[in-house]
Amino acid sequence: MASGAIRLATLALVLWPVVPLGVGLRAGLPGDAAAWLGWLGRACGVVGLAWLLLAMVLSIRLPRWDQALGGLLKLWRFHHLLGAGSFLLLMLHPLLLALAAVPGGPAGVLATLTPPVGAWPVWAGWAALVLMMVFLAPSFSFFGPPDYQRWKWLHRLSGAAVVLGLVHTLALSRTLGPASAAWVWGGVTALALVAFVWRLGLSRRFARRRYRISRVELLAERVVELTLEGPPLAYDAGQFVYLAPLDPALAAGRGEEHPYSLVSAPHESALRIAIKDLGDASAALMHVTVGSDVTVEGPYGRFLPRRHDQPALWIGGGIGMTPFVSAARGFAVQSESVDVQLVYCANDPSRAYYLRELEDIAAERPGFVVHAHYFADEGPLSPAFLESRVADFRQRDVYVCGPAPLLALVERLLRHEGVPRRRIVMEEFDLL
Amino acid sequence: MKRFMFAAFVAFWSSVLSIWAYAALAAGGGDAAPADAAEAERTVSLEELARHATPEDCWMAIDGVVYDFTDYLPRHPAPPVVMTTWCGREATEAYDTKGYGRPHSPAADALLPAYRVGRLADDP
Repeated sequence: MASGAIRLATLALVLWPVVPLGVGLRAGLPGDAAAWLGWLGRACGVVGLAWLLLAMVLSIRLPRWDQALGGLLKLWRFHHLLGAGSFLLLMLHPLLLALAAVPGGPAGVLATLTPPVGAWPVWAGWAALVLMMVFLAPSFSFFGPPDYQRWKWLHRLSGAAVVLGLVHTLALSRTLGPASAAWVWGGVTALALVAFVWRLGLSRRFARRRYRISRVELLAERVVELTLEGPPLAYDAGQFVYLAPLDPALAAGRGEEHPYSLVSAPHESALRIAIKDLGDASAALMHVTVGSDVTVEGPYGRFLPRRHDQPALWIGGGIGMTPFVSAARGFAVQSESVDVQLVYCANDPSRAYYLRELEDIAAERPGFVVHAHYFADEGPLSPAFLESRVADFRQRDVYVCGPAPLLALVERLLRHEGVPRRRIVMEEFDLL
Repeated sequence: MKRFMFAAFVAFWSSVLSIWAYAALAAGGGDAAPADAAEAERTVSLEELARHATPEDCWMAIDGVVYDFTDYLPRHPAPPVVMTTWCGREATEAYDTKGYGRPHSPAADALLPAYRVGRLADDP
């Protein structure tokens, strides 16, 4: 899909709740400031809940379907923004309504915020909002960096929050009118429900496939490459999968799924996955038993193009080299010409664990050139370094993958050097 | 973004607590006034009620109490016609069901006393 069409579809998706609100307004504008506050308060509630439901729909994570929408990482980012927007609007909702009740005197304000116990629709709304704070607290690191599994578990409370929010809005149902409310909430709730059920139940059965670990190679300290034998998987270089190890001997993370990049080339019969020790689960995988099983769900993501004949600059750092390794391994069976300059960023030669193999591929493949950049020797990547190795880097499409600081540095550098934003593609594995 | 969200989270609870505390204190101090007013309350007959049946002069009876909603009409969230239809009439059922079986909120209940005119006279 063209990016313009995606943008338009996104805009329509985000703004659709405003349409029934606008129709409601046509019947008569609010009469004074308090009435406007009341209307805005209700509108915040309607749009906030609609965005929450949309965020839920986006979390469905169907293998391959994310491609049309720009890749799973982009979808996650959109999901994150919608969630944040929804949270802000839903916090404004009771505040604006309380302020709108001010002309009716303090008793009206009190009754708006803390009604009698029997007013369950209002209390359902409060419960939904508090639940939202609980399940979003780790997403926005309210109380320090979150634990991945706890974050995932808490995020399931979103289901309960949505149900309470819908009960709240349907029992009160002031802003949309009963007929349009049924259509609007019914439709989007059905979609959200499908996403929820798929994510929590059906995907385990229908999307996860079982593989056997046939090899564990230690590439460097705290980095391994797993080779998996099992059913064939169609994917593109640069995509990733969700992997859940089933090895009973694992110290942590057994049965937990985490996203990891594929480093095998799409034509290889076995899957290869590179894993860096970044947390308890990935640390345990350093010592996973050869012959044990894993489940794999994917592929996801859209990062590299399928052909490499357009002049490209690849910049990778650390475990972020993985998409480039996968693509370079694929050069062996590609007949088209390639024009790729790869800058391999590592702290020192001991951390450039794929460099040797990449240099071997480059020696065989005209048009593919590899440059190593060592932070310990040369400091941060600089325009001078790029200029000396890839003189025409400003005219190339740039693909960057690596830790957040590297991405930020490269983006600043390239923008400063006049590379337009549309020619820079970034991939960051920071799902929180 | 994370910092902004945390700031919004803190701002939300401090605003809610401030507004709530203010309203609770203000509502607690105002108890005496309605009691005085109740003694001198007037009675309104159905005929008199019916004379206030326009949006510019709109009275309604709900649960035996007569209210003058003229000033409130522009603030009502639903389209005006929903409410103006009931001007000059006994409107308890409309208030209790909003026309589709849903009662008004406690916040709406709390607004009512501010518009109270008197008691509806018993049937002659």
